[in-house]
Amino acid sequence: MLITRPDHEIVTKYCCIWSENIIDLANQKSMHVYDLKGKKANRKEFESYIKSKNPSLVFFNGHGNSATVTGYDNEPLMDERSVPSKSIIYARSCDAAQSLGPMLIQKGVRSFIGYIRKFTFFYDPLSIMKPTNDSMARLFLESSNLVVSTIIKEHTVDEANQRSKSAMFKNLKGMLSSEATFEERYAAPAMWSNINAQVVLGDLHAKI
Amino acid sequence: MNNQVDKTGDVISNPLFKEQLKAIVLERANAMPETLRIAVGSEEFKKVDLIKHIKDEDEIGKQMMAMELGFLQALTSGAIYNTHE
Repeated sequence: MLITRPDHEIVTKYCCIWSENIIDLANQKSMHVYDLKGKKANRKEFESYIKSKNPSLVFFNGHGNSATVTGYDNEPLMDERSVPSKSIIYARSCDAAQSLGPMLIQKGVRSFIGYIRKFTFFYDPLSIMKPTNDSMARLFLESSNLVVSTIIKEHTVDEANQRSKSAMFKNLKGMLSSEATFEERYAAPAMWSNINAQVVLGDLHAKI
Repeated sequence: MNNQVDKTGDVISNPLFKEQLKAIVLERANAMPETLRIAVGSEEFKKVDLIKHIKDEDEIGKQMMAMELGFLQALTSGAIYNTHE
């Protein structure tokens, strides 16, 4: 697995730290993990690993738009110039399933899971020094992590997407329940948006 | 899980509906707890930032309007309650 984890500001730092569980899981499963954390999430390193290691699974954490996924300091890592491997890709990144995903499938990527709109989450600013203690961010990032953890457990990308969406939906129901805090109820529209924005392209039955 | 028809674009492109929606979304933003920040794409916002984006109707403001409208539509259509886990 190749994972990109830029950490140049709060949003990327949250995704970076919340991805550590995924790396731990991959290590438990004896997968080779190529971790492009922080400044290592640059185009040169990324393309070098894609070419030399041909990873079966690529997990992007970073910003993006309909045509690009970026790394440290928003340097484009994958765009129309890229020559991807025949991997499964999950891009926790905005909008990339609009154009980049379909283009990568045409170029030979087996499956692409991403978002057709902006990936949105709420967080508690008092938790920025310890994002894994942030119960609000947990609702959003733990459920999206399920995409990759399910793939690592050798399920199909379709199952990974469904498990992730089910977890998001379970969280949404909790956020709308009478037991929810005001903050959780306030954040519910973002959860609904993420549920509807997450899509799978390419081979639904692909697995590592 | 995602069978609802997305009509958010139709509403936002209608000037009358858009102004009504903008008023609702501004009220929602005014109610945002000070204890929260929202990460939308590459940026993170506190309440005051969000209100400005909505008032300016820039890309983030429109994104927030679409998000709130999509949620309201799902509530009224029952899509949220009909969705299977």
